[in-house]
Amino acid sequence: MGEWSYIWAAYSVTWVALAAYAVYVTRRARRAAEAGRALNREAGENA
Amino acid sequence: MNQTQTMTLPIPVRARWLTLLGWLALVALVAAELYGFRVSVPDRDMGNLQKIMYVHVPAAWMSFLAFAVVFGASAMYLWRGEEKHDLLAASAAEAAAVLTALTLALGSIWGRPTWGVWWTWDARLTSTAVLLVIIVGYLALRSFTDDPERRAKWSAAVGILGAINVPIVYMSVRWWRTLHQIQSDPSTVDPAYVKALRVNAIAFLLVLVYFIAQRYRAARIERAIERDAEERAFAEGSTNG
Repeated sequence: MGEWSYIWAAYSVTWVALAAYAVYVTRRARRAAEAGRALNREAGENA
Repeated sequence: MNQTQTMTLPIPVRARWLTLLGWLALVALVAAELYGFRVSVPDRDMGNLQKIMYVHVPAAWMSFLAFAVVFGASAMYLWRGEEKHDLLAASAAEAAAVLTALTLALGSIWGRPTWGVWWTWDARLTSTAVLLVIIVGYLALRSFTDDPERRAKWSAAVGILGAINVPIVYMSVRWWRTLHQIQSDPSTVDPAYVKALRVNAIAFLLVLVYFIAQRYRAARIERAIERDAEERAFAEGSTNG
């Protein structure tokens, strides 16, 4: 393997790890916010 | 336990600044990496492999910073007993796990062409691996414990123990004879590489803040929803009983 193969491997691993966690955390927060909004609406209707 | 900091309805769910921060972190990371590639000349000994420093070192620094947040928030939880500190520690712990695993993976990729091995039981590598095991244990402990109060207390203790390992990891290259070079910081890195290293560290810092803030937001909303469900169940039980 040439030196550039290791460099590309390092940068690819970085992007895959950071992107995967960013997608996970963003989607989880979005799902939670949607559920929170639904609960807020329901509470507003029952008030 | 002091429950004065817990959320009640309506749950605050908006966080537009977080979306902006996410895009800012993405743009900063792309720009910082391009800058590192553009300005750095090949190192005398390592050649272009030196460029791996711009991701490996910031990942390590940010993992330490995430552990510092775990430590501070865990200590605050044990002192004040407020749930928000427990949720913050747990949010930082996830980021710490991701960044510690990334640091080890990048070190391994860098070690193969420079040291000739993917892995060696060197003090720096071994102590970092121990750090990863502790933080994975912390997350496992949280997922296996249902009672929120007990979960918070036990994980705060583990979080503090794990964070205490960080200075050992940092100093390991000076305390023991290691294959790993001494700590990379602006005083030990060649001046030609310092600016690019700083720029990449700032980009990684934005990514870390985004990870912790977004995860903390999710944790707070999820806990508020859980509490609402518990209160409803309790109210129904009281009505039926």
